[in-house]
Amino acid sequence: MAELYPSLTQCAIVATAFKVLLFPAYKSTDFEVHRNWLAITHSLPVKEWYYEKTSEWTLDYPPFFAAFEWVLSQLAQYADPAMLVIQNLNYDSWQTIYFQRTTVIVTELVLLYALSRFIKSVPQPNKQLAHAASLSILLSPGLLIIDHIHFQYNGFLYGILILSIVWARKQSTLLYSGIAFAVLLCLKHIYLYLSLAYFVYLLRAYCLDPKSVFRPRFGNIFKLGLGVVSVFGLAFGPFASWGQLLQLKDRLFPFSRGLCHAYWAPNLWAMYSFTDRILITLAPRLGLPINQEALTSVTRGLVGDTSFAVLPEVSKEHTFALTLLFQLLPLIKLWRHPGPDTFIGALTLCGYASFLFGWHVHEKAILLIIIPFSLIALKDRRYFSAFRPLAVAGYVSLFPLLFTAAEFPLKTVYTIFWLVLFLFVFDRIAPVPERPRIFLVDRFSLLYITVSIPLIVYCSLVHQLVFGLERYQFLPLMFMSSYSALGVLGSWVGFMVVYFTA
Amino acid sequence: MPPPSYRPRKKRKSATLFAGSNNSLTVDAGDGKSVPAFPLVSFLWGARAGVSQWLVLPLVLMTVGLFRWAISLWGYSGFQIPPMHGDFEAQRHWMEITIHLPLSKWYTYDLQYWGLDYPPLTAYHSWLLGKIGSVFDTTWFALDGSRGLEDPLLKVFMRATVIVSEYLVYIPAVVTFLRRYTRMQAVPVWSASIALTAILLQPATLLIDHGHFQYNTVMLGLFVASLDAIMAGRMLWACIFFVGALGFKQMALYYAPVMFAFLLGICIFPRIRILRLLSIALVTVAAFAVLLAPLMLGVTGIEARENLISTTPEPPLLQALPIRLDRSSVLYHLLFQLTQIIHRIFPFSRGLFEDKVANAWCAVHTFYKLHRFEADLLKRVSLGSTLASILIPCAIIFRHPRASILLPALATVAWGFFLFSFQVHEKSVLLPLLPMTLLLAGDEGLNKDTRAWIGWANMLGSWTLYPLLKRDGLQVPYFVMTYLWAYLLGLPPTSWQIYCHQKTVSDTETAAEPHGLTKVIHSLFYVTMLAWHVLEAFAPPPPGKPDLWVVFNVLVGAGGFGISYLWCLWKLISQCRRMEYRVEEVRKNQ
Repeated sequence: MAELYPSLTQCAIVATAFKVLLFPAYKSTDFEVHRNWLAITHSLPVKEWYYEKTSEWTLDYPPFFAAFEWVLSQLAQYADPAMLVIQNLNYDSWQTIYFQRTTVIVTELVLLYALSRFIKSVPQPNKQLAHAASLSILLSPGLLIIDHIHFQYNGFLYGILILSIVWARKQSTLLYSGIAFAVLLCLKHIYLYLSLAYFVYLLRAYCLDPKSVFRPRFGNIFKLGLGVVSVFGLAFGPFASWGQLLQLKDRLFPFSRGLCHAYWAPNLWAMYSFTDRILITLAPRLGLPINQEALTSVTRGLVGDTSFAVLPEVSKEHTFALTLLFQLLPLIKLWRHPGPDTFIGALTLCGYASFLFGWHVHEKAILLIIIPFSLIALKDRRYFSAFRPLAVAGYVSLFPLLFTAAEFPLKTVYTIFWLVLFLFVFDRIAPVPERPRIFLVDRFSLLYITVSIPLIVYCSLVHQLVFGLERYQFLPLMFMSSYSALGVLGSWVGFMVVYFTA
Repeated sequence: MPPPSYRPRKKRKSATLFAGSNNSLTVDAGDGKSVPAFPLVSFLWGARAGVSQWLVLPLVLMTVGLFRWAISLWGYSGFQIPPMHGDFEAQRHWMEITIHLPLSKWYTYDLQYWGLDYPPLTAYHSWLLGKIGSVFDTTWFALDGSRGLEDPLLKVFMRATVIVSEYLVYIPAVVTFLRRYTRMQAVPVWSASIALTAILLQPATLLIDHGHFQYNTVMLGLFVASLDAIMAGRMLWACIFFVGALGFKQMALYYAPVMFAFLLGICIFPRIRILRLLSIALVTVAAFAVLLAPLMLGVTGIEARENLISTTPEPPLLQALPIRLDRSSVLYHLLFQLTQIIHRIFPFSRGLFEDKVANAWCAVHTFYKLHRFEADLLKRVSLGSTLASILIPCAIIFRHPRASILLPALATVAWGFFLFSFQVHEKSVLLPLLPMTLLLAGDEGLNKDTRAWIGWANMLGSWTLYPLLKRDGLQVPYFVMTYLWAYLLGLPPTSWQIYCHQKTVSDTETAAEPHGLTKVIHSLFYVTMLAWHVLEAFAPPPPGKPDLWVVFNVLVGAGGFGISYLWCLWKLISQCRRMEYRVEEVRKNQ
């Protein structure tokens, strides 16, 4: 083993020191959400978990996550029993903060373990690349902003995802990969976005004979089926026996929300809305009809439903059809050439499709693309050129999550630090591709990255100076998400080309 | 005339005086491969060769900046402790009075509530920050009405002023100083980057400035800028920067004897240079004059004169003046203002020491109460012992005024002041720690012996600050930052390897292994510090002695700082001898 410094553990130690210092930082309502879940799982019988609604933040994660909260609550009573009382809404004693923040840091060890397994699973000549990619995930600004400031448990969940991906690399451990992914789905259902890729890959590589599609391997089908069914049975079985499945469905899939999430995730719909806003001003000249109702909508652009004034409305079915279509395209290739790297590529593209075209997408879902992509971003320079705008756009699009003054330097400096460090390191070590590169892509991404600097300055400073804090609040958000959407979209197109030509 | 015959280009003198290497950064893993000697080396492993400083430096500065800002999210001194609050409120109050009051009232206004008692540059700095802050929100600095304000946005603003001031003064000064110093000592760039990171993460400085809340780094930065000017041979700039440091915080006096001895020394040795002496003296006086000019001009107006003397009693220094002045003359008012400033800055009327501080007096006081002596006698004893402790280093610097041995001399003298002088604060430990820590960037500065000593002194320094930090609710940042620093430099309690024998790659520097005595002393101190934390956390002090743990901390600290003083002195003497020896050799060879 030559020159793999700093090691994962060393980075984890320093990063942990930094994360502990962030204990008193801003925390979003997700902190209260998780505290409430601790209280629910600790003080109520399992039967009532999905019916409790004292707090508006009801339990809306799958059963395994509830069980995970229950385990944590067993420890929480030693830290501060008051946080486990359901009626103590918005309770945040320092013991509670220390406890909850510590659990995020400790459970992230799963990610550390998964990454070390990932490095081990890579053959010797590529170790350095795998090492750099692992460090970039471990130190990802996305995880720092979402988990350690905003408050969630993504580090732990993505740890399981990466573990599952690592197991998918070898025929002998494919079964574990499937089971791990089933467990992951029972922890957080957002990973359903990736499930088609798993389904196709496991079916093709594990359940069917590698030589011929028409020769099923019944032993494998049985093992995998048994494993997955028992995981889901364990998770949902009790609720099914109490007849609560419909209630769970309502809690897990609240379809009453609008097309765009409060903060405009940088996807196609953000660009669509942006175009609509521009068309409103141009419509009189172009002679386009304007939907007056949408203009007067109070919540326009900020919260809840976005209705469009000029462009046609978008329905759930549209988004669903688009998502499915763009998920299926890469899966065809995966079906025909089921290799581990193609699998990771397909996972990434499934993430892209659901992020770009999905209904009510959270900006946090960008990790669903970035993290699997990081694992193959260093395959060669073509992959890396597609990755670069994604990293910039994805992480910049997370900025609006933290809007308090004290956290502004943290998010910007940390993200810039990460981008400078890893884009430079990746650029140095990414191997030259076998095929020639796509013309102009590098120029495009350089221009794109340069634009981010004045944009961030405008959105975080100039706008407030010109318009004040109150007026046109949606404008910086819209600029940021349209800009980021452009990057995500561009990197998606770039990666599609790379994926299909590889 | 024929061209002069070929002469080999003269080698740079420094290159023969020192032969720095990266040897102390790697150890032999057993199979001939080199591995990092301590974790900080690992983190900069990628920067060994071929990476531009334009990349390494911004990354290092961003990292240390993030840690600073993260610490600043925590509590500050005096948070929610009315009526006086703490240092945070004092600094905010100074911004409030400087932007609202005429210059004649700055040093006289309501002295009972955090009256201004820092030198003029701090006052101007406060004025500037107050003006900037008022753009954001005028209520933050409303005269009298804003006392004890604890708005979260005000906290962000104040924290930002500390970090911005530091990045404008301290950081550029340290970076340029290190660049010059390492080049002079022929230390490789890679080692220099590692030393820079270690220096910029010094836990005590970070915790006091960004946790407790002070602007020490501005003063320290001006001092380092002065050192940098000396290394560059710009003695007049050195004077100006040093006057700036003194004008920002009187504590810079800890360094003054060495600076004085050095500047005097270069005018006398190797030959007397009157002109240089005169220009140094002139520039220094002029710098002081410029520093005081706004405050002096501020009392020349009729109204300002009334303001000045109507509310304040005549300063004792003015009373002690042998001549009587006409109370209506301008000169009288100028002198009044000047003596009032001096009276405010140097509180001679206070006791020998305040609170519990790890210096000699507090330690002696524990066993032998010093109250029984008259204050005057104590002052004289204090002055005498301080002078005695700084005599040798000052004499060495005076006789051998060489920039390369300034750092150990400055550290020795600052330790002397810290241990023996009058009215020492626990925060003053930053002053001796800075030049001592800068030694990490010197020749062999990162070898095991030097690293062990400097690391140990820093660990001890932040440990003695713990009682103070605990009052501010900064226990977590304290543990995180000290532990992190210890980890990065491979020190106990994270690793005892520094005291074990390791095979180096070239195996040329067996002398760099810490001495047996060093191992014993350091181990004893580390074990004591750890045990103290356990005691302090879990065992309540006996009923009659609520301060027992703090007293214990002070005693151990004072002992350790005494040892640090001796080590710096020894380092100074040995470096000076080595220097003379090398110079002698170079001379012989030529």
